[in-house]
Amino acid sequence: MKRIVVFFLFIIGINLSFSQQDSILKLDEVVVSDSRLLQFSNGIKITTITDSTLQRVPGGLTNALRYNSSVYFKENGYGMVSSPSFRGTGASQTAVIWNGINVNSQLNGQTDFNTILPQSYDKISIRSGGGSTQYGTGAVGGSIHLENSLNFTQPWTNVLNLGYGSFGTKNFNYKSKYGTDKTAFSVGIGHISSENDYKYLGTDKRNENGAFNNNTIDLGFGLLFSTTNLLKLQHSTFIGDRDFSGTLTAPSNSNYKNYNSKSLLEWVNYKSNKVQRTKLAYLYERYKYFANKDSDSFTTSNAKTMLFNYDLKYSINNMLLNGLVDYNNVRGEGSSIASVTRNLVATTFLFSHTASKKLSYGVNLRKDWVTDYNSPFVYALDGKYQLTKNYAITLNTSKNFRIPTFNDLYWETGGNKDLKPETSHQVEFGQIFNKKGLKAELYSYYTTNKDLIQWRPSSVSGVWSPINVKSVYQYGVESSLAVHKKIKENPIVATITYAYTKAIDKESGNQLMYVPLHKATGSLVYHYGKYKIGLQTLYNGLVFTTTDESQEVDAYFIGNVTLEYDVLNFLNTDVILALSVNNILNTNYQNVAFRPMPNRNFKLQLNFKF
Amino acid sequence: MKIKHVVLAIALGAFFASCENDDNGGESLPLGAYENGILVVNEGPFQNGSGTISFLSDDLETNEAAIYNKVNNKDLGNVIQSIGFADNTAYVIANVSNTIEVINRNTFESEGTIDADLSNPRYFVAVNGKGYVTNWGDTSDETDDFIAVINLSTNTVESTIPVALGPEAIVAKGNTIYVAHQGAFGTNSIVSVIDVTSEDITKTLEVGKRPNSLVLDANDNIWVLASGGSSWPVPEDESAGVLSEINTSTNEVVTTINFNGVEHPSFLNIDGENLYYNLGKDVYTLKTTDDTLPTSSYVTHTATSLYGMDVYNGKLYLADALDYASNGSLTIYDLNTQAVDKTFTVGLNPNGVYFNE
Repeated sequence: MKRIVVFFLFIIGINLSFSQQDSILKLDEVVVSDSRLLQFSNGIKITTITDSTLQRVPGGLTNALRYNSSVYFKENGYGMVSSPSFRGTGASQTAVIWNGINVNSQLNGQTDFNTILPQSYDKISIRSGGGSTQYGTGAVGGSIHLENSLNFTQPWTNVLNLGYGSFGTKNFNYKSKYGTDKTAFSVGIGHISSENDYKYLGTDKRNENGAFNNNTIDLGFGLLFSTTNLLKLQHSTFIGDRDFSGTLTAPSNSNYKNYNSKSLLEWVNYKSNKVQRTKLAYLYERYKYFANKDSDSFTTSNAKTMLFNYDLKYSINNMLLNGLVDYNNVRGEGSSIASVTRNLVATTFLFSHTASKKLSYGVNLRKDWVTDYNSPFVYALDGKYQLTKNYAITLNTSKNFRIPTFNDLYWETGGNKDLKPETSHQVEFGQIFNKKGLKAELYSYYTTNKDLIQWRPSSVSGVWSPINVKSVYQYGVESSLAVHKKIKENPIVATITYAYTKAIDKESGNQLMYVPLHKATGSLVYHYGKYKIGLQTLYNGLVFTTTDESQEVDAYFIGNVTLEYDVLNFLNTDVILALSVNNILNTNYQNVAFRPMPNRNFKLQLNFKF
Repeated sequence: MKIKHVVLAIALGAFFASCENDDNGGESLPLGAYENGILVVNEGPFQNGSGTISFLSDDLETNEAAIYNKVNNKDLGNVIQSIGFADNTAYVIANVSNTIEVINRNTFESEGTIDADLSNPRYFVAVNGKGYVTNWGDTSDETDDFIAVINLSTNTVESTIPVALGPEAIVAKGNTIYVAHQGAFGTNSIVSVIDVTSEDITKTLEVGKRPNSLVLDANDNIWVLASGGSSWPVPEDESAGVLSEINTSTNEVVTTINFNGVEHPSFLNIDGENLYYNLGKDVYTLKTTDDTLPTSSYVTHTATSLYGMDVYNGKLYLADALDYASNGSLTIYDLNTQAVDKTFTVGLNPNGVYFNE
């Protein structure tokens, strides 16, 4: 506690001593809500997926990341619950950050990546490694950042995407943006639905009860109401209705409906060397689970989060100093959770220094106070050094945490209020080689996680209850190679990623369940006049489905091919027709045991820009 | 958990009778690779996989995993709840799959699948060429529970007998079946007495809360073990278990023995005149003539997660599911010496054993 008081004084002290200093902060940085991602990640691996790629992703966010990153997904059948695994950690050790706010479910601590449509966002960034100091609980294996940007002084632009494919899959996405000197508007509507009744290869069965229907609305508004003040409003609503498919041995007649809404009001006051942000956010999540969809009976839970954040940032010469205070009030209730309220206060201090053209580094510190338990003091140190013109190295180390979820603490019966947060220590070393048209990256890391929460039945009463039981360590490498070339004026882009992941249970020495030792992706895009051909491939290594490595799901290799044709490009109007063949090799594969994935399938898309 | 000893006693009786008729005093031919030994039911994972059956030879020298998959080259089903027997046929109940796999118990060759008109099937007993299977129905509906009556010649459900909430363990005595209503995901506290000839419920007997197992003793009395009221959803409703004795001539509860505090016993078994049950990891025994509970345990096991318990011919079989996500173990104790005979690695979530001999 004493340490924290000192820490606060430190922030205030800096305010007093440096407030007269001078440097320039750009408006660009102000219009993005998650500017920390750009400014306080000197030695951190960040991979970005841009708008143009996101517009073409078939299906949910799972597909956007599966083929474009080293993140592994455990998907309960196509379009069903999908949880990410970053560097051998689990879904609840991956934070999802929406415009700078941690939006993982308060109920189960996770985000289902099939409840996010990638088309809703202008940019998605993948930040590898721990980020609890900046993004709080769950940012242990890594974090996924969903960003909407506001564009001032921009003509009216519209993007409309219509798609139709196998298994009755339909999608509709529309995004419109408009900006003046003082205002910026954006609106997005997304829909994807599918009968999803694909054939299980090698059997006479189909994917029964797998239909889904997902819808989103996204709104953005920005107002520059004076030369130094900006008001922003971002909103996102997701409405999902999915039948949960069965398995090869277990039929299903269940259905899951969920509703998530996120609203963020932000006031930014900026001067040449100082930015103040005040954020007010309201998050609402609710699900209804029908074990038998023909019956009226269901289980449900909901959580409401009020979030207040004050963020003060100074720029002094080549240094950035940032102090943040967060207050969260979460109310949860449901079929198995009596109405409970949780309060959280967090204080964060971030420092970043570009010491020279070659060296930049940062220091981050954070402490949370939460209802019912102690949250640890966490830190992160990171740095980047440009050794030669083409070669840079990065180094970072951090302590991270995950707090128990509402379900862990308050579930009736079994919730355990004596749980401690999970804690993790990690170090990472990175090498980046960059030469005209070629970028190669190699990151190695070592992570330890202790007090991992698992649900176990009591030997006395048989009641399942969460306990801090597991200790694991992970180490591995993530590598990537990207080549941009031109063959006779025709651009070609090739990207390869490969990840080697060891995730070991300290007690048994076994690899954790559902963590592939090897994962590789490869993609190629080639433009030829009005044509563009794209190839996506994925190799997913064998995963164990038991803790003693006695059962497994086989490795698989799948590929998708897309052919695009620019039908019309006139004035500001562009019409593109695209045909995709997914799983072109008709691979019979499973991602989760006994849940076969789709056979070869087709999709036709029409993309309008005007 | 199981009433298999009783089922077995009846089934074996029929089996030996038929053997005697068949072999005409000559050498009996081997019936199959799995004729002599122990069948271990491994529930398997929920949804994402298949349950299996392990086979231990009667000399305990060989341990063969997943014999059904091996013989038939296909999966058995999801969450194997139990096995019932009629003559040489095993009826393997896959609870989540809503199927019963019909298998030759000696060769383990599949003879068919009952895959219609079952809903959350639990336990099987055979009487007069018909099978009776307890079914929970939809767990959110407390009024759709039933006994499926199976024609064992056609392997189809030929009729259903609607019953009260949560029918679980089932035992037969002559043309009468006794069904313990544990209450599925809720709570019940009755035993239904059903006449299989008329398919009528002739009587409903009140026992302890959440009856989980029942056995028939040598004097034709049925013992019912109830685990007691659960602390969920109302903590004040938690109560201790009850052991009840039913006289099958009068169909009256003749003995009621209450457990202490909030003790929740389960896995009632019988071997001769000795009853066995567990409390946590401890196994207790009393005689059918006793009217008080033992004060100290008979065997203390080191199980991580005791998931199944059976007693047969002086041996105690304890199945341990460990972390519920890896192969479990089966430990065999000698009940005379109270010492461990042997421990085996079996499949995922082992919940009980059955005997071929």
